[in-house]
Amino acid sequence: MLQQLALAFSLLLFAPVAALAHGPTPQRADETIVIAAPPEAVWAELVKFGDIGAWHPLVKKVTATGGDAAGAERVLTLEKGEVTEGLDETDPAARRLSYRLLKENAEAIPVSFYTQTIEVKPEGSGSEVSWGARFYRADTTNEPPEDRNDEAAIAAMNDFIKQGLEGLKAKVTAK
Amino acid sequence: MNAVLARLARTVPVALVALGLLAAEARAQAAPPLVAIVSQKAAMVTLVDAEAVRVVAEIPVAAVPAGLAAAPDGRTLYVTHPDLSLISAIDVATRAVTATFKVGLEPFGVAVIEGGRSLLVGDWSADALIRLDAATGVETGRVAVGRAPAGLVVDEAVSRAYLADRESNQVSVVDIAALKRVATVPTGRAPFALALSPDGGRLYIANVQSGDLSVVATADPPREVKRLKVGLMPYGVAVTPDGREIVVSNQQSGKLAIVDADTLTLAPQQPSLGSFPEGIAVVSPAKAVAVDWAGDDVVVIDIPRRTITGRVKVATGPRNLVVLGGRGAP
Repeated sequence: MLQQLALAFSLLLFAPVAALAHGPTPQRADETIVIAAPPEAVWAELVKFGDIGAWHPLVKKVTATGGDAAGAERVLTLEKGEVTEGLDETDPAARRLSYRLLKENAEAIPVSFYTQTIEVKPEGSGSEVSWGARFYRADTTNEPPEDRNDEAAIAAMNDFIKQGLEGLKAKVTAK
Repeated sequence: MNAVLARLARTVPVALVALGLLAAEARAQAAPPLVAIVSQKAAMVTLVDAEAVRVVAEIPVAAVPAGLAAAPDGRTLYVTHPDLSLISAIDVATRAVTATFKVGLEPFGVAVIEGGRSLLVGDWSADALIRLDAATGVETGRVAVGRAPAGLVVDEAVSRAYLADRESNQVSVVDIAALKRVATVPTGRAPFALALSPDGGRLYIANVQSGDLSVVATADPPREVKRLKVGLMPYGVAVTPDGREIVVSNQQSGKLAIVDADTLTLAPQQPSLGSFPEGIAVVSPAKAVAVDWAGDDVVVIDIPRRTITGRVKVATGPRNLVVLGGRGAP
């Protein structure tokens, strides 16, 4: 098992270009949620890049390297497999972070690539969190199967974001 | 303007240049600069008056339009639909689609050549540059390029087409007349958009994944002379008419980067264009226009002041744009 994992990992390492390939038609998903907690409290959870597993209900496990700085990476274990994400930017003043998919896994999330941005803004005495994603379907040919087309990608991303926002809210307000 | 004149004089008989300039001057005085914007999600081409910052017309097109180019007289627009293997031709005056052509597998970048008689089209999944008869859509030739050709610009004065081969991390240089690839130039990772300096001597390439701008000297043999960081996921690039500044839209950070062409350094001011800006074009010496794909905005930029001076909503998912009349075309 370990050997197989090592082999799979080395194959991934040697195929970085293929791993980034995607088609020409991006899709998007945007959701917001209002949380009855100050923006600093929400941001304190979000900024810990390797700790998404503490609040996202779809993330079973996280292995992270590089801390919370640009260039950090995290491997998310989801129900049907792993994906790897890389942190591109953290802007504490704007309470905004942005990251991208480094290694896709269509079984886990049916997309070939995404970038996601999460931002926290004051809303009354609480916060409004907006989470946006730009992504491409898993099968970028013009005849994708149903489980790898635009609709599948949009449904999966919307679900991931909605559950993430609900989980974040639950985590922050439970304190 | 002198650079543009000199450039035109290299290819077009002088009398024609004079006539064309007179017409262009008259148009410039009579009509404000019109920008055509393609909205992918809404399947719409929107014409925007870049001076008044208002929508002039909306033209429904087939699904998922992506790339677009204008004929030199600004009367016809060509729009690619990669998911449908289709190109639409739009008559700007009547605001109507007048023809559609089946082209290749996933037509993406498009350019108008030979005074409007032919089109060049990059095919994202066939990894080819295809030439078409603009009137009939009939393919008249093709040449293999690198993987996933995205942006496409042409310099007919030297019979060159340049394609950003996104998945091959290179630019393909094609001799248009011979329809033959004459060179490839390595770039940063995932080159997408590209723009030529007004004199054609330099090509600027926005590399999405590595977040940098490749500066290529086009004289034979073409070579990359500099690669500089510009920001997160640069998706659009354009050059001012005097060639002195390059504007870059950084999709992931939402910011505008302005590069000095002489020193190849970044201006410290980086105003926010929106949440996921993509295409950018220069409409006049001091003005650029960008589209914000996620905000559904057209954003007007004052280049010397490094500020955003206006926004107007367009149909969902604006990705790309072209200035009608040929100035500042991406």
